[in-house]
Amino acid sequence: MDLQKVDLFIMTNAKFFEAHHLGWIREQLIQLDDAQWPTLQMQQYKDPTTLLIVSLLGGSLGIDRFMLGDTGLGVGKLLTCGGLGIWSIIDWFMIMPATREKNMAAFQNLLA
Amino acid sequence: MTRTNLYALVLTACCTGWIWIGIQFPLFQSGQQHEVGLCLIKQVTNVPCPSCGTTRSVLALVDGDFASSLQWNPLGWLVGTMMLITPLWITFDLLLKRRTFIHFYRRTEGWFKSKWVAGPAIALVLANWAWNICKGL
Repeated sequence: MDLQKVDLFIMTNAKFFEAHHLGWIREQLIQLDDAQWPTLQMQQYKDPTTLLIVSLLGGSLGIDRFMLGDTGLGVGKLLTCGGLGIWSIIDWFMIMPATREKNMAAFQNLLA
Repeated sequence: MTRTNLYALVLTACCTGWIWIGIQFPLFQSGQQHEVGLCLIKQVTNVPCPSCGTTRSVLALVDGDFASSLQWNPLGWLVGTMMLITPLWITFDLLLKRRTFIHFYRRTEGWFKSKWVAGPAIALVLANWAWNICKGL
């Protein structure tokens, strides 16, 4: 793929991925065919900052985990008052890395 | 989520739950239990969350008082059953090197993603939440 497009993608979407994944993503994009550019553009990623805000406000109800697609964990948090409050607090710190991992999985699915 | 991670998480959650019940049970029996628990929503807003009263519901279940358990919070029946069954199920899986619990978990997760299951489930949780607020838990 054209280097300009690759850099555009990286600049636009860097916040959705872990910093240590960006090098690998760049390499994969360079090897990718130009025809896949529209598909790549169509892919929606979850914003880690949005998930953090949701986690701070509605983490005790498991809304953050529901949004991330972890329905089982969301139900678990909902039924236990956010894991007696402890799980909610842990998720304030874990939800951003978890979101980036989910985005990475979505990107890998796109390549597969 | 991998099988090991899921099993570790569920076992930790169940162990924490049983320890919490063990701590609270003597207080519950003597009627000295504090009204405010560990719920962040209740602590911050003074409004109960949908699962407030679950601890007291499970405590009533352990005490054999099924009617008052249902009155505290019907979700307590679900949580109590899960706390009883899942550790045994996971132990069975680990001993026999099977994956039945994670298959069940993934299938259930799939059902909850369907709008025909998620819709009524959300409605029930909201109704329970409204009931909790009316009861003033």
